Amino acid sequence: MRTVTLFTLSLALLGAAQAQGGTIKIGAITSVTGRFAEFGKMQLAGFKVGVEEVNRRGGVLGRKIELVIEDNASDVNKGLAAAERLVNAGVPLVLNEYSSSLVKAQAQYLARQKVPALVFSSSGDDITKPGNDYVFRLNQPATEYARVILNIFRDHKFKTMAVIAGTGAFEKSVADAAQDLAKSYGIQIVEDQRYDKGLTDFRPVLNRIKAKNPDGILMVSYAEDSVALMRQAREVGVKPRLFAGGAAGFALPEFVKDAGSAAENVVTATAWIPQLRYAGTQKLNVELKKALGGQDPSYHAAQAYAGVLAAAEAIRRAGGTDREKVKAALNSLTMQTAFGPVQFKDYEGFRNQNPLAMVAQQVQGGAFVPVYPKTVVPRTLKFER
Amino acid sequence: MTTTAPLSAARPRALTFGNVWLSLALLAVMLLYPFVFGKALNFGVSTLIFAGLAMSWNVLGGWAGQLSLGHAAFVGVGAYTMTLLATPERVPAFLGGPVAPWWGALIGMGLAVLLAAVWGALTFRLRGSYFTLSTIAVALVLRLVAINSEWTGGSEGLFMPELPTFLGLDLFDRRVEYGLALAFVALTLLVTHLLRRSRLGYALQAVREDEDGARALGIDPARMKLVAFMLSAALTALGGSLYAIYLQAFEPHTLLELPVSVQIALMAIIGGRASIQGPVIGALLLATFGEVFRTVFASANLLIYGVLILAVTLFAPDGILGLFQRGGRKLGTAR
Amino acid sequence: MDQAGLTALIQTLAQGLLTGGLYALIGTGLSLIFGVMRVINFAHGDFLAIGMFITLALFRTFDLDPYLSLLVAAPVGFALGFVIQRLVLARLGDRLSEGSMLATLGIGLIISNTLLLTFGAQPQNINVPYATNTFQLGGVQVSIPLLIAGLGTALAIAGLNLLLYRTELGRAIRATAQNPLGAELQGVKTAHIQAIVFGLGVAFAAVAGVLLMPLLYAFPTVGENYTTKAFIVTVLGGLGNLPGAVAGGLVLGVVESLGAYYISNNYRDAYGLVAFLLVLLLRPEGLFGRTVKRV
Repeated sequence: MRTVTLFTLSLALLGAAQAQGGTIKIGAITSVTGRFAEFGKMQLAGFKVGVEEVNRRGGVLGRKIELVIEDNASDVNKGLAAAERLVNAGVPLVLNEYSSSLVKAQAQYLARQKVPALVFSSSGDDITKPGNDYVFRLNQPATEYARVILNIFRDHKFKTMAVIAGTGAFEKSVADAAQDLAKSYGIQIVEDQRYDKGLTDFRPVLNRIKAKNPDGILMVSYAEDSVALMRQAREVGVKPRLFAGGAAGFALPEFVKDAGSAAENVVTATAWIPQLRYAGTQKLNVELKKALGGQDPSYHAAQAYAGVLAAAEAIRRAGGTDREKVKAALNSLTMQTAFGPVQFKDYEGFRNQNPLAMVAQQVQGGAFVPVYPKTVVPRTLKFER
Repeated sequence: MTTTAPLSAARPRALTFGNVWLSLALLAVMLLYPFVFGKALNFGVSTLIFAGLAMSWNVLGGWAGQLSLGHAAFVGVGAYTMTLLATPERVPAFLGGPVAPWWGALIGMGLAVLLAAVWGALTFRLRGSYFTLSTIAVALVLRLVAINSEWTGGSEGLFMPELPTFLGLDLFDRRVEYGLALAFVALTLLVTHLLRRSRLGYALQAVREDEDGARALGIDPARMKLVAFMLSAALTALGGSLYAIYLQAFEPHTLLELPVSVQIALMAIIGGRASIQGPVIGALLLATFGEVFRTVFASANLLIYGVLILAVTLFAPDGILGLFQRGGRKLGTAR
Repeated sequence: MDQAGLTALIQTLAQGLLTGGLYALIGTGLSLIFGVMRVINFAHGDFLAIGMFITLALFRTFDLDPYLSLLVAAPVGFALGFVIQRLVLARLGDRLSEGSMLATLGIGLIISNTLLLTFGAQPQNINVPYATNTFQLGGVQVSIPLLIAGLGTALAIAGLNLLLYRTELGRAIRATAQNPLGAELQGVKTAHIQAIVFGLGVAFAAVAGVLLMPLLYAFPTVGENYTTKAFIVTVLGGLGNLPGAVAGGLVLGVVESLGAYYISNNYRDAYGLVAFLLVLLLRPEGLFGRTVKRV
């Protein structure tokens, strides 16, 4: 019954749109409700700012754009149902969101239906490695999360490091990439421990690492664990030269707030910060903040914004909403956004992947400051010892 | 059976309401669905798969009266076996190449039967809650193995490789998948109907009603429960293989968690464990509820499961279908 | 073993025992409920979550020190358990053994999903200054919140023992556990006793939640893990065996801690689960002592 009403509703909307000369409808799936709703909120703000910007500049091909946003309720089956509704609504491409367990199933389905999927926030390497013709990703894959931290370790002549990572798909992706990079950089990994969700007694692991006394510790975990991990690290007294986090939980404002003094000097990878020197970065930050009602945006919002811009640009280059033409346009796309440059390349086993580097920031004096790379006017790194 | 039988009998009783006609009517409704809701096939396929899983669970949970909260383990065995064997880079070398999904599904069923045989042989010496506790533990151990092993793809899970066509049909066509899911539900209904009229079925009912009494009649309760467990495991694994094709990409975190087991069990119990079609009805109702109230309950979609299971436990021990049956029976005696 | 190795062993053991103390507290509540009522409480971890969220809410609203929340969480837990026993479990009659599993499963789902609707899915911390405080004891570091939790556990269990063996109510509880019919004939209102026992068990879980809060974070489905831990603890100790539950908790804590330190952290949860399965299969009466076969 719901489907019927939805169907008639969208028919009515379609009719209305055509009467106005027709907006271009772009599909988008995000988690409006459920476990990932916090990220969904950020992405909705990014969508809003992106659509407003495109339409302010006159839209695409003389028409305004409009997002058809479907909620996946943070559930894999509901995500697939959402993807199907967008396919049937005839959208030229679908913007695809955060959690890899949902994105992978949705992207596979969309590819089978020959609908381009533009992933803008999910970072598991295996989404575009090996990937397929219809899946494009503009945000950095997990490998880059590890690379920026390992680059810092290498630049400061670290000899040894330890890894603590959750058993989630994202955490595993980053930790595995760190393994490979460490090998090529000649850094020895003295411990690599994975923990399951709900484990909040990290002390045995931290003691093990303490005994090995590594130069650096890379931690990959979500919000909840990052705070517990750093508190317990201080408690156990493990003292590497640097604690580093692989984005996720460590890059959120709550980390600094909840971990308090335990967070001091922790370096973390992150996908985007307002201090980046791309054109319009500051302005984007202001607009996102406004869209969020005063809350500071996380990088997820900037990614969603860039997703809208890239989708609009692809439709413009395709000269219409034909899915195959949009796919071809995405293949040859090059553009600058306030999130960073966007182009989809095949490299290092990745397919249709935007080769974008991550940035690093450090908690200094209770706030994040940028420390890497040079393009962000970095502050000097502070070491634990 | 008289209506004066206490409503609070120790175990749910077999019902007479669920006859062949109801099964056929349900199948006919499901057959019509794609013609009416051809644009919502994903919802249809996943709902039917869960209906079949609930039916499979019920062979053990309803017929043998053994509450399992670990059936996700068998879903996982089916999904992983089929996918691993079909993936050229992952299939064991001695098999000489990828295995067609239908053979993979059969092998998965075989492995599930094996797991159930060992597990059941060890645990059916224990009664009641001890068995339930063991199911939780076994499923959680399998989950840890899937997450921490390289050959399972670890926590990143697996992607479905390209599959050969099945009797000339594309397995990734949702209409084909819908047909297969419908066939799966039909199979579980058929098995249950056959079970009801078989020696095994009678023996199971006897065991469920009174284990010691059954033993006195020369029935070996542990053996009967074991056979039911193996049958239930095989069917569940088949559903797991189908689910994997439908998802095309899955992670252990979506497939092997406790809530998956709980959801399957509760669908069957809420629908009506002692009836033949109860689990299907439970699954269809709960899925529809979930979709209709998706935006209202947001993430708390399991709230409705909690409320319903509490209500069913307190007021309708035979499930929703049991309520109808009891009502029908009362009418019958009134006349 | 060299000096550093020995210190590490003692450190690991100490942390295992302290974590185990918390497991013991969680398991004692579950075991008490089973011992008296033959009910396996599938909502046990969710009652713990209630304790955590009470602490969180009081801290957020009134800036109340987490440990003071005990004064609220314990009575709320008791009342909740008392009411649930009266309204739900008491009505199951002779369907109790299976019906209670289903009913508590449902109650657990209702609790976790209500918390989800109220507090959202995001995990939440409370930041108290002493969260990372430790003190040194011969080279071994002891976390102060973990030590407080251990002391709280010891106090709660000692209190329970006093109640069971030194009071009239305790006598009635023990009588109900041994022989409900006999107790009833002796004038014990067993229905009332069972409600009190379920209330006590839930209060124990809620107290454990409060003690955990300064160490961890709360999220609506946090209970799932702890329900499993509670099962492991009680089966290790023997279902319904209270001293067994305490020992089972300590054993689980130490096994996990040693396994995580000396073998690998990846299978940390598996050590307990495997021990659980082995005990279930080989010694269903539990590791310790001899319990009457009641199941």
